[in-house]
Amino acid sequence: MAGFSRLGALERRVERTGTSLSWLLAALLVAYVWLVVGAPIDSVQGPIQKILYLHPPLAYGAYLGFIATGLGGVLYLWRGSEAFDRMAIAGAEVGLIFCTLMMVTGPIWAKGTWGTWWSWDPRLTVTLLLWFTYLAYLLLRSFAEPGARAARFAAVYGIVGVVLIPLNYYVIEIFEARSMHPDNLERGSLGDGMGMPFLVANLTFFVAFVYLLARRWEVENLAARAALRESEEGDRK
Amino acid sequence: MNHAAGTGGLAVSARGMEKRFGAVRALRGVDLELAPGRTLAVIGPNGAGKSTLLRILAGLMRPTAGELEIGGQRLGGTGPGRARIGYIGHTTLLYPELTARENLVFAGRLYGVADPGSRADQLLSEEGLAEYASRRAGTFSRGLCQRLAIARAIVHDPPLMLLDEPFTGLDRRASDRLALRLQGLRADGRSAVLVTHDLSRVSGLADAVVVICGGLAVHRAEGSALAPEILEAEYLAAVEAAE
Amino acid sequence: MRVALAILWKDLVCEWRSRDRVAAMLLFSLLVVVVFHFALPMGTSRAAVTQNAPGLLWVAYIFASLLGLNRAFALELENDAFSGLALAPVTGGWLFLGKALANFTLISIVELATAFAFALVFDLDLKGVALELALIVALGTAGICGIGTLISAMAVRTRFSEVLLPVLLLPTLIPVLVGSVQGTAAVLAGDGVPFDAVQLLIVVDATYWIVSFLAFDYVLDE
Repeated sequence: MAGFSRLGALERRVERTGTSLSWLLAALLVAYVWLVVGAPIDSVQGPIQKILYLHPPLAYGAYLGFIATGLGGVLYLWRGSEAFDRMAIAGAEVGLIFCTLMMVTGPIWAKGTWGTWWSWDPRLTVTLLLWFTYLAYLLLRSFAEPGARAARFAAVYGIVGVVLIPLNYYVIEIFEARSMHPDNLERGSLGDGMGMPFLVANLTFFVAFVYLLARRWEVENLAARAALRESEEGDRK
Repeated sequence: MNHAAGTGGLAVSARGMEKRFGAVRALRGVDLELAPGRTLAVIGPNGAGKSTLLRILAGLMRPTAGELEIGGQRLGGTGPGRARIGYIGHTTLLYPELTARENLVFAGRLYGVADPGSRADQLLSEEGLAEYASRRAGTFSRGLCQRLAIARAIVHDPPLMLLDEPFTGLDRRASDRLALRLQGLRADGRSAVLVTHDLSRVSGLADAVVVICGGLAVHRAEGSALAPEILEAEYLAAVEAAE
Repeated sequence: MRVALAILWKDLVCEWRSRDRVAAMLLFSLLVVVVFHFALPMGTSRAAVTQNAPGLLWVAYIFASLLGLNRAFALELENDAFSGLALAPVTGGWLFLGKALANFTLISIVELATAFAFALVFDLDLKGVALELALIVALGTAGICGIGTLISAMAVRTRFSEVLLPVLLLPTLIPVLVGSVQGTAAVLAGDGVPFDAVQLLIVVDATYWIVSFLAFDYVLDE
């Protein structure tokens, strides 16, 4: 029960953000759709280029998801409060969704622009490895004895996974220099009229990620509270 | 070596011990106090949470809630806390491929014992295992294993012993021998927590008893109330009331 | 540190007496090497074989390591010796160190034998580059053992540990694999010690050993 009382304040604050966040998200989604539909069609790549407003923004969720998982794990090991472990679960599941969508939109975009479904391009490769790490993490959680042991093992693996992300980038930087990824995205050399939609897209997906993470965390908290209440009532009988 | 001297305060102080495995609550708030040099027997039906409690005391498991102090020090992590404990669990913690002596030397090294070789020899002769010193532990009978397990548990001369059903699987002679050995350890001033099913032995080995049922301490007794007839009656009554 | 050495000694003695781990790993590796020979189509040119040899060698090494790592902690589950280790009044990191060094030693022995078999089957001349190759293999194996010891300590106490160990371990081995294969390729091509690969492996190894050392306490708890 200790976890609940100590973190109750934080949980309640998260719950309260729910309504304001959902309004913000709804507004952003409307703006997003309007801007993307209205955005100019790229002369070289054609309509498929509009995945620009989908694929890179997903990266927020994919990577922040695992960082949330790793952070939750570290806090859990340090503080022992199970609410942090629940955040780790939320981070993993929401992050996996974003990562999977990235793995789907990436090849679609690649096929549309470079003509091949897959290339061992650095960013796509690291995202693929992240995807596997997510799945391994969730598999570990389901196979380990439920409760403190699963939480602890998952936290350790989460830390390993988080360390793996920069390691993988380092590896690829040293060895696989060729990149087919359009670097110009970062340099701000987007075509005219693409800047605003792109910005809004990034913002929308970021907020979407935070929203989904908070909701998933909430669901996990409620489930845990219900399970505890149930077992307490069972004891009292 | 007399252990009772110089240990001001309680040997064990556990308050509100709780342990959950997922949704299963193995311990639901158990308090335990043990003065130095005394032995506490923990009895109860199967699945009551006795082993869980002992493993938490040994530092193998962290409780979901509650406070624990061993020898006046809060237990957690490594260090002095664990060095004060000798644990005998359901299994022997021995390596079958190593000889008896090697097992003891290894355990000695784990605990940082000064001269593990001679300590091992000393323990082997104390337990009457000297002739088995060079035989692989995997070839030992249950009784021999148990004796070696005890030697292993005290290799670092701990003031606190935690024993989880040590009489299991022993024949009459081995049981008596073990009881004698435990009395000897007790006479050295060691504190002990003993989990056992054998109610008849409690009065000879323990100073106090606590009955654990369904994760809670439902009954405590000490002194003359430990006599087998009284204890058995009170035990059955307590367990029935709890269920 | 003495505790780590004690564990190293204990593991090696136990292995020497039962020899089951090394024998299994050795047999498995040799089989894998033979399988690889048949896996390459009959007409493959010598040049193509030499080009792919480093990759195949490391795949064989990784498979053998998976086997060995799984068994490493299975040894501790017998009689719950694992708890015996967890009871020791030392930082978990030293227990990790002992175990990891033992794994490193045993796996290295198997790798040495496998390298011979490999050279034989694929008609490679390793004598000239033996020392450089040994360096790369040592660094790669250190990486495998560093993270593998930590993960197998977890995996072995779950259901389906044989399946979970590879699933958990392989993503983490990609950096090690890349460095090792590139390094081996450079060495076999006669380019001397490749600094890129060595640098990568050192960084990865250090990271893995440090993380495992610090995290091992959490893995020991129940």
